[in-house]
Amino acid sequence: MLFPSVEWFQALCNAANANPERFRRLGTVDLVLVAKIDYPHQSRLFEIVFSGYHCAGVREVSSTRAAREGAVILEGPFEAWKEMVANIKANGQADLAHTLNTLTLYDTPMRVWAESQLDTDLFYRYQQNLQEFFDSASHFETEFAGPEATSVYN
Amino acid sequence: MQHYSPAVERVLDHMSEVRGGKLDLSWMNSNPGGWGVRATPRDERGLGLEDLNQVGIYGEVPDHGGEHGSMAPRGAEVPADTPALGCYDINDKSLVWADNVALLYDEAVARQWSSARDVPWDKLKPLPDDLEKAMCQLCTGLTEVEFIAGDMPAKWMWHINHDFHEVKCFLATQIADEARHLEVFRKRALANGGGLLKASPGSEQLLRAIIEAPDYTTASSLMHILAEGFVLTLFRNGEMLALSEVEKKIFRLCMQDEARHVAYGTMHLKYFLEKHPERAEDIHEILRHGEEAIFGLSMEPQTSEPRAILAGGGVDHIFEGMAKLGYLYTKQVREYLHRLKVAGLDRSSRLAIPLELPS
Ligand SMILES: [Fe+2]
Ligand SMILES: [Fe+2]
Repeated sequence: MLFPSVEWFQALCNAANANPERFRRLGTVDLVLVAKIDYPHQSRLFEIVFSGYHCAGVREVSSTRAAREGAVILEGPFEAWKEMVANIKANGQADLAHTLNTLTLYDTPMRVWAESQLDTDLFYRYQQNLQEFFDSASHFETEFAGPEATSVYN
Repeated sequence: MQHYSPAVERVLDHMSEVRGGKLDLSWMNSNPGGWGVRATPRDERGLGLEDLNQVGIYGEVPDHGGEHGSMAPRGAEVPADTPALGCYDINDKSLVWADNVALLYDEAVARQWSSARDVPWDKLKPLPDDLEKAMCQLCTGLTEVEFIAGDMPAKWMWHINHDFHEVKCFLATQIADEARHLEVFRKRALANGGGLLKASPGSEQLLRAIIEAPDYTTASSLMHILAEGFVLTLFRNGEMLALSEVEKKIFRLCMQDEARHVAYGTMHLKYFLEKHPERAEDIHEILRHGEEAIFGLSMEPQTSEPRAILAGGGVDHIFEGMAKLGYLYTKQVREYLHRLKVAGLDRSSRLAIPLELPS
């Protein structure tokens, strides 16, 4: 599976939806998360919609403004994303140094933000679900791609 | 033959009349405006409290709670002779309401966790003395302060008019959350060869301000927005500083609960200030007091030093740790100011404490 791509994020969605009991135990999530992967001269953005116990869909968007209202942006350089995904694959889940919270707390190497602080707070409110969502990248092989690969905006 | 009190005798007489066929059944014709509703779940998550507010009269939350002062359910017909309980004196919706409160209750119920089951206690490993002591001191402090967010809602809940049951239900989940926070930090302190260390007189100043706040909304602003907002960042920090998967999970799960409490407090203050803009000065004043108390905590070695040791990775790196905490402090204050802005209170020019710590 190529990272980043709609297929890659959809695979995480499928993994979440294929294991409803796990997500029922963690509880409901109502959140629009935009994964923003930054390259030196451009970015790729993927909007992931969570509703109740489901991941409701993934699409690529052209900019943060094109995402749904209230979206929470999780952004970082491609290299940081790559390291996080590789770490998840190597350990079966993110190790202590590569959890979403750890990577974003000091705003480097990754950062989380939203138009409203209450939306940013959703990232904290659903942290365990989001961590387990990304941890399921350990279930499949990932190949890493440059910005031009598979983008619908090229 | 046994003799009973007149009250019991009356019931026995009534029962014999019923056995003789004298039924009342008038209740079957009561509350016609509330009959024939069919609440449905909005989706696969099941029938939520919020879903009940989508049907007919049941979703009408009055600006002023029922005068009857009883626990009669909102939307039911209340007989004229229903006695008041005499305890409900918070009767205005604006004093407790938040537009997200029923949804937050539904979410809280769906997201309960167990410190016994959901924390991988078997992954604890022996740690160098300085790190174990720092973690145990942090947990001592957290065990001390967590249940203020149980005691504060408990102080006010029985005053709140029963027509605002959504608020009471949400506050009940918060009390359960805080009970879990108290015990999970106590468990961590006692589970890895350490123990509880030193209590914090400085924290008690802040706790006292919360418990002594003159009304519910000032108490809520101080606790839900200022104190729990700061604790939310502290939990994020704790997750990052975690020495094992055990702490990582504890802080992450507590962080989730805390964000819910902050979301209620922020939206309650917003609702309150929309109805009572003239009360903004009272909120400013209590927050000024709270900011000073929370800032004073950094003077207390048992509060600030363990955090710096954990952030630096050991007592030899405590100054590196302090620098990291300085960055987090600014972030904590900025997020607090942003939440207040969402609530309609601009405190950026009135902050009683520095936005950045001197380096
Ligand atoms: Fe708490
Ligand atoms: Fe709390």
